[in-house]
Amino acid sequence: MDWLRELARRLSMLMHRRQFDADLEEEVRLHLELRQEEQFESGMTANEARAAARRRFGNATYLKEESRIAWGWEWFENLAQDVRYGARMLRKSPGFTAVTILTLALGIGANTAIFSVINGVLLTPLPYKDPKQLVVIKEHDSLPNVMDIQRQTRAFSQGGGINVEKMDYIGATEPVQVRVGLIDAGFLETLGVQPMLGRIISPGEDVQGGPRFAMVSNHFWQDYLGSDPYAVGNTIQLGGNSYTVIGVMPASFALPAEHADVFVSLMVRDPGAGAERDLHFMHTYWRLKAGVTLAQAQADMAAIDRRLAEQYPAEEKERKSQLVPLQEWLVGDVRSALLVLFGAVGLVLLIACANFASLLMVRAFAGHQELVIRAALGAGRGRLIRKTLTESVLLSVLGGATGLLLAQLGTSVLLAMRPENLARLSGIHMDARVLLFALVVSLLTGIAFGMAPVWISAGPDVAQALKESGRSTTASTMGHTVRQVLVTSELALALVLLVGAGLLIKGFSRLRSVNPGFNSSGVITMYLQLPETRYGEIPKQTQFRRELLTRLDTVPGVQVAMVSDIPLGGNYVGHRLVIDGRPPVAVGGEPLVQTLSVMGDYFHVMQIPLRAGRKFTPLDREGQPLVAIVNEEIVREFFPHKDPIGVRICWAGDVGPPRWMTVIGVMADVKHSGLNQPTDPAVYTPFSQNDERWRRFMTLAIRARDASPGLVAEVKKQIWSLDAQIPVDDVRPMDELIAVSVAQQRFNMLLLGLFAALALILAAVGIYGAMAYAANQRTHEIGIRTALGAQRRDVLRLVMRDGAKIALFGIASGIAGALALTRLMASLLFEVKPTDPATFAGVAILLAFVVLAACYLPARRAMRVDPMVALRYE
Amino acid sequence: MHRNEIPPGTLYLLILRTLARSGEMHGYEIANSIQRISDDVLQVEEGSLYPALQRMLIKGWVTAEWGTTAGNRRARYYKLTAAGRKQLTVEMSQFERVIGAITRVIEAV
Repeated sequence: MDWLRELARRLSMLMHRRQFDADLEEEVRLHLELRQEEQFESGMTANEARAAARRRFGNATYLKEESRIAWGWEWFENLAQDVRYGARMLRKSPGFTAVTILTLALGIGANTAIFSVINGVLLTPLPYKDPKQLVVIKEHDSLPNVMDIQRQTRAFSQGGGINVEKMDYIGATEPVQVRVGLIDAGFLETLGVQPMLGRIISPGEDVQGGPRFAMVSNHFWQDYLGSDPYAVGNTIQLGGNSYTVIGVMPASFALPAEHADVFVSLMVRDPGAGAERDLHFMHTYWRLKAGVTLAQAQADMAAIDRRLAEQYPAEEKERKSQLVPLQEWLVGDVRSALLVLFGAVGLVLLIACANFASLLMVRAFAGHQELVIRAALGAGRGRLIRKTLTESVLLSVLGGATGLLLAQLGTSVLLAMRPENLARLSGIHMDARVLLFALVVSLLTGIAFGMAPVWISAGPDVAQALKESGRSTTASTMGHTVRQVLVTSELALALVLLVGAGLLIKGFSRLRSVNPGFNSSGVITMYLQLPETRYGEIPKQTQFRRELLTRLDTVPGVQVAMVSDIPLGGNYVGHRLVIDGRPPVAVGGEPLVQTLSVMGDYFHVMQIPLRAGRKFTPLDREGQPLVAIVNEEIVREFFPHKDPIGVRICWAGDVGPPRWMTVIGVMADVKHSGLNQPTDPAVYTPFSQNDERWRRFMTLAIRARDASPGLVAEVKKQIWSLDAQIPVDDVRPMDELIAVSVAQQRFNMLLLGLFAALALILAAVGIYGAMAYAANQRTHEIGIRTALGAQRRDVLRLVMRDGAKIALFGIASGIAGALALTRLMASLLFEVKPTDPATFAGVAILLAFVVLAACYLPARRAMRVDPMVALRYE
Repeated sequence: MHRNEIPPGTLYLLILRTLARSGEMHGYEIANSIQRISDDVLQVEEGSLYPALQRMLIKGWVTAEWGTTAGNRRARYYKLTAAGRKQLTVEMSQFERVIGAITRVIEAV
């Protein structure tokens, strides 16, 4: 602890430096006076006594300095002096200072903003116990399989699954739907969550016929249980049943991917579905045993898959479970986008730095004579370098601080426009790592690019430089070349960014022009789910649906229909297709198709065109021959040379005799899973001919002639007039569903576009600055040329020649760089090649114009040079 | 009379010992005391006391406080701390070891 006390003493000296100096001064003076008096008394004259005292004391100035240095703050005082000097110099040229700081702030701010996103999404560990051990199985699975894996595994210490289902919660002001996580006992334990209140379900309670226990999220506890600290033991009404609350989750707990308000045991809630081996609807999380690698676990999993496939060939023939680390699985989609964006802001920073360096150089030349004189007077090279560096680091740190403010602003903008799959973004904030990043970037910028003028200006031959007038020194010729290289690279970097942005914009516009297969404008959707307790039987469901559509038909100006899963809603039910008269396929090997149930004239409401045959009519109902409509993809895949109309199809794995459905029509393809996704083969059937009791959900599609704000309220009123306890959920315009489905692409495009624009502005400013400075330096030369008879055209050519050279080299090297780099963003592009020639050409032409414009302004000024003024200026 | 420079490295020892003997002293008194007790043999370059005192302050061997001299002047008085006392024994034993060794070398036949 001694060193700590010593440090405290040293620090206290630093705090009281002034007092220290005064004390020392007084102490020394006293000593000299006492000695002088003593000598005086021994008979010396006053002058002799003073001299003797001085002699015996030694060099007082030096000794005082020694005493100070002993405390070890010399470096600090020198630094403080340099900083004060630098700050004074910067205050003297506010224009230069402002431009430099702003340039750096843009570069560092953009980098910090993107870094804070990367920090939040990629670098911060997931908020679970030992998150590195957590893996997911990509494929969904059934509870019996999950339990078998739990029994057989040698690689996992824990594991569990979840399926989120919407259920009605009665007890709020109006009937609401809450998301209920149907889990097994292993699930919460695997994530390692400790409940805030109460406990989690035990394996003994996670059985068929077990007690109806519920664990609620912190949100649910706040919203519906009034944050009651004694909430454990209360009962809540979920889906028509009473559940006892046994635990409340902490506020910090969120599921990795899903969202759930309540957790209940799947075996308790729905033992039928829980026991179905081929109902693969649970998403499963597993914890690796300590020391087990992912490859070992994958091998173990493959062995389990093989055993299950042998044991249950009918259901599990095609098992192939892929393990992915949880973190990778969560950020997989956004990682490449974020890295491309990070690369892009890195380029922006480089451009900003190039501007910074060339501004510093211009300034260094302005102060060149001063440096030369200082060097001539004996200032050490090291001292001169330190002075210049202090100034540039001062600038870069100020720029970094301003950039941090911009980044703070920028991250809130990023958060506002984030796509849904960047949900973890909400955890983003400026933490120590982000601040450190900004500091390191600022310091490195200041040091690395502050060195540029140092190399040129701190090392001139002093004698040579003093002889020259300062107008055409070797240093400035060299500086001219360096600056040209700087602006040429800026141009090249800007081109790379613009090409990247151009490709994304083109890809996005291609994506937006994809025909979704329906007309979204003017369509509002809402999701309904019938409670199982009162609508468990199909006739009840059909009666409700039919009555609801009848009532909604009375609302003026609207057309209404319903479908089991709306396009771009993220869901569909898949079944295995059997075609009558085709040779039988091995069990489990039948093709998987999308199945959608509809009621009302769904195709008319959505404006999906009929390609062949006929649409459903109200007569295609229960008790009538079973019918089906297929999409064009089915025809392409299964009936390439045959008319599908009249063919009979059914679903594989149906219990009892096959329920043959006759194909009566072909509808146009619909992009159900996303505009950038291939069309799935799809089969439509009437809701009323369903035999699947669990299809109790539906989405209403409402096309209104003019969507008045009262419409949604009117529809809700009609629904509740039929059954006041049906929650209405997810009320969304179809246009919004489309927008959400392309949000990630839009996000990428906007950000890269923003960075490219930033790069373009910075590069244009840089080129303009360099050209203006060069033209200004040549005022004298231009004056002479004009006096000797050069035309304005010749002057123009003279100045523009430099610009043309920069444009040529910059664009050429930029294209080379872009060709090398855009490959990295291939995964972000939709139907655009990373080497799209039109984009490259367009960007090159744009940049050529920017360079010419940046040169033209200084050139025009140069043309106006009055030879008399220019020559007299000498 | 001829005066000798103090051997290098012994300045701390001299100051510590002087303070240990007399309690509080200011710089001038320390210089005088060393000189007087050594019968004017040891001549300290008086100014060099002050950087040495600063280093001892940093180490925590001494503390300093302003007080008044007999002649009613403000002076900074130095006082030994516990750490200073400990350091004194360390310096003493080191010094004795060195002196003993030198003596043995000189007296060896």
